[in-house]
Amino acid sequence: VIPVGRLGFPESVREASEQLQEHGACAMGGGTDLLTQVQRGIASPSVIVDLRGAGLDSLEHENGALRVGAGVRVADLAADPIVRERFGVLFEAAEHVGTRQLREMGTVGGNLCQRVRCWYFRHPDLTCWLRGGEDCYAQLGDHRKHGLEPGDCISVASSDLACALLALEAQVSTNLRERMPLADLYRNPSAEWRSNLALASGEFVTLVTVPRTPDISAYERLGERGESSFALVGVAAARFGERIAMAAIGVSNTPRALAPGNPLEGLPGLPMTGWKRTALAALAADATTRVTRAPES
Amino acid sequence: MARLVRTEAVVEGRVEERFALVEDDDTPEYQPERRPLPLGVEQPRITGWARVSGAARYTSDIRLPGMLEALVLRSPHARANVTSLDLAAARAVPGVHAVLGPDDGILFEGGPILSSEPYYAGAAIAAIAAGSRERAEQALVALSPVYEPQPFVVDLAGAMERQEIVGEALEETRGDAEGALATADVVIESAFTAPAQVQHALETHCAVADWRADGLTVWSSTQGIYEGRDQLARAFELESDFVRVVCEYMGGGFGSKWGVGVEGVLAAALSRAATRPVRLVYSRREEATVTGFRTPARFEFRLGARNDGTLEAIDAQAAVEMGSGGILFPVLEPARSLYACANVSLMVLPLRQNLGPSESFRAPGVMEGTWAFEQAMDELAEALDVDPLELRRFNHTAVEPADNTPYTSKRLLECYDRAADLAGWAARDALRSDGRVRRGMGLASQYWWGGGGPPAYAEIRLGRDARPILSIGIQDLGTGVLTAAAMIAAERLGIAPDRFSVKWGDTSSSAHGPGSGGSMTLASIAPAVRAAAHTVRSELLELAGTMYEIAPADLTLENDQIISLDRTLARPITDVTSHLGDASIIAHGSRGPNPDGMTVNTFGCQIAQVAVDTLTGRSWVERVVAVHDVGRVVNPLGARSQVEGGVLQGIGFALFEERVVDPTTGSVVNAGFEDYKLPTMSDVPEIVCELLDDPDPNLPTGIKGLGEPPIIPTPGAIGNALSHALGVRLREAPYTPRRILEALA
Repeated sequence: VIPVGRLGFPESVREASEQLQEHGACAMGGGTDLLTQVQRGIASPSVIVDLRGAGLDSLEHENGALRVGAGVRVADLAADPIVRERFGVLFEAAEHVGTRQLREMGTVGGNLCQRVRCWYFRHPDLTCWLRGGEDCYAQLGDHRKHGLEPGDCISVASSDLACALLALEAQVSTNLRERMPLADLYRNPSAEWRSNLALASGEFVTLVTVPRTPDISAYERLGERGESSFALVGVAAARFGERIAMAAIGVSNTPRALAPGNPLEGLPGLPMTGWKRTALAALAADATTRVTRAPES
Repeated sequence: MARLVRTEAVVEGRVEERFALVEDDDTPEYQPERRPLPLGVEQPRITGWARVSGAARYTSDIRLPGMLEALVLRSPHARANVTSLDLAAARAVPGVHAVLGPDDGILFEGGPILSSEPYYAGAAIAAIAAGSRERAEQALVALSPVYEPQPFVVDLAGAMERQEIVGEALEETRGDAEGALATADVVIESAFTAPAQVQHALETHCAVADWRADGLTVWSSTQGIYEGRDQLARAFELESDFVRVVCEYMGGGFGSKWGVGVEGVLAAALSRAATRPVRLVYSRREEATVTGFRTPARFEFRLGARNDGTLEAIDAQAAVEMGSGGILFPVLEPARSLYACANVSLMVLPLRQNLGPSESFRAPGVMEGTWAFEQAMDELAEALDVDPLELRRFNHTAVEPADNTPYTSKRLLECYDRAADLAGWAARDALRSDGRVRRGMGLASQYWWGGGGPPAYAEIRLGRDARPILSIGIQDLGTGVLTAAAMIAAERLGIAPDRFSVKWGDTSSSAHGPGSGGSMTLASIAPAVRAAAHTVRSELLELAGTMYEIAPADLTLENDQIISLDRTLARPITDVTSHLGDASIIAHGSRGPNPDGMTVNTFGCQIAQVAVDTLTGRSWVERVVAVHDVGRVVNPLGARSQVEGGVLQGIGFALFEERVVDPTTGSVVNAGFEDYKLPTMSDVPEIVCELLDDPDPNLPTGIKGLGEPPIIPTPGAIGNALSHALGVRLREAPYTPRRILEALA
């Protein structure tokens, strides 16, 4: 365990940006992902910048658009009556995040920026390819819960909120960029970029915008038990008029947009993950059924 | 008069010979025509308020003046030689009071705790005690170990090839299984692979040790204070009375906390070296990698039967993955003893691997053995085209089949009948469908020991306020045994259980009580408690008889009153005890042996109803009917909670829990709750619990154990139900979406 050096408590985005200039600094929302990484010694920030006092906790509705500050807690997102009524996929996804305690602590921004799920990536005694090592242990070893897409790294993105927001065609703003498509927050890791987040040094999410209300939306998810587990596979769908937007988590390094007619496209599966294709197809069909059934109101 | 007797006790299937000092006991048996109140009446736990209010003090809560925090250096490699270790640098870290390494010769049960040749990932190399956790962490870094990795074996195939046996392979035969298989009308062959289930006590293994010139005290999260005392005495070659072990409350053990364990010995060694109290609390990762697990096993069965259903032959083999050590538990006991069968051949191979040592886990061996064997029995029923329940009834045995001894009592057939009625077994095929979600129902039988035995002692003191103090040398694993013990005494004294003050969990203040394992705590301690309470009762009635000028034989005690049998007198017990002044009535009781030449077993049957989504692979348990024959039921509330907990833990084995070891590095990859999933409340099905509540006529107090029985049949019943639902048998647990979808593909 590497002890944390210092904590920063900025009171504005500007102050936070300044504190995050320091080499090795790391932004933190509720800490529910970052602190477990620190505890395992797989993250060792020089300073942890706690964004909870930075004024990012507003949740607003305007002309059918939804604006969620990165500091809004997942529990508060799920408790918002309009989110519950009009953005069903987001409400359902938020209800599935972690446990009740984690939802009370975790923030929307933190949830979107959580690191990938892979029991090798998060192993305290191993340095896998994604963490700068030589080998993707998952491909050599046990990858029963990993992705469907071949690559240097086969870990999976697991943010339920990212899945829902991708289907809702959301945009994100950071301290450096305004309203980019959510997909641009992520990228597949490469030899030069060993991360699934496309955030520059010192960059952090400030706001999530859903520009318009879908006619109807739904979230379908397969967990490891009745509740309180990461999604093995999650599928979000939203219908805007005739058009359906779909996304999935648990299948690749990043939250992934799916082609509604062909959700398995580009996801051939790996030796131990073929079963996920079956589950993904079923969940995609279920989500499609729910959003094509009838308009919500 | 007291006499020393030699007696046998069965602990988790192992016969142990013990000496017991048995006192004459004139306690009358319970009268069968009358319910001995308050036995059989629901009683909330006497420790309930302390537990839910946070007042209960667990071992990890202990803070002593000057106490140090300990950490252990553990190998990241599955096998290695440590070629360099800088103990001096660690000692030089400010605030470090003790550093122990491989050369310090700290032993646990004869084996070194700290080794420069770590045999598994997580094996201990050095230990630190420092003024703060942060200082101890610094010292760990300062140790700068250098490793030379060595080849290792962590899977079954490698272990089979290497053929290193832990202890001895087990072989047992009766009759001629091969011959009977050759002539049987129907023969089935089947194989199953059981996973490693980790105990994962929510309070991790921990100890606080305080070694002083006049004695060693260790607070331990343990299910055996006396076993812990003896472990410490052996480890440091001490007189056992020099050692005191204390456990007030503990947060789960499930078999993995027998005695003070490695952590207790290590904390004591550090305390001795530092001359300060030392606290050692394992991390969740340590809990998952070094404190034990239910052994994974590969089972292979061949069963032969006549066309009429008579079981003619059982050939059963098991390869058990022991990790680096542990006790071989009776994985083939269900094949050996569950049914009448003249020709049986058993072979068990306990294989060593470069993983942490295995450790007992609630019904060790027998639960996973039942899971496998009871599914093979269902396959035989399918081959014979008979109802699985009928096949079991037909092959029921009235005597212990291996040695033909009579049972002290056996009501298994009634369990089958009640379970079938409660579950709607006769209509089970109506559950089946070809739809997306399929349902099925399956059953499994339960076989276990649980008769308890000596030595076990109890002391009761009664003073002027008629609030008895019951002192027993046991610990509360979480089963509610303290409440049950108070109820046993309450029956003799006519004083409500909640007026008792129960003292437990301290070897310095109570005489020996049994460890909480093998479902034997209550069956062992209850007769001793009852004998002590009876003596107090007799003395109290003597005093009352003198006071009221009524013959003691014409008086009784109930509802906190002394009552004459003709009901003309009813006075509060304090009416008599108030005259005691500073005197007390003090009495002792001891546990006598069980009858010779008889087998003590518990029995039961569970029926599970499951549902499976065939497109996502998700399965869930909808209903479990649990009917068990465990002798007298003392506290129905506590008993039901034992059954519910056992069923839920069995669901964990069947659906979720599995330690995963990376084949490339030999490291456990799911050593925490992120990837190792225990069941939660949302996974709890409707649980219908019925206990026959029929006192065993051949055991003192008629009580048998209930800690382990309820977990035993749950996974097998679920496996059989899943097969009934899907028409496909899954040969490996847990039944995750992956395994279900792969089986259906």
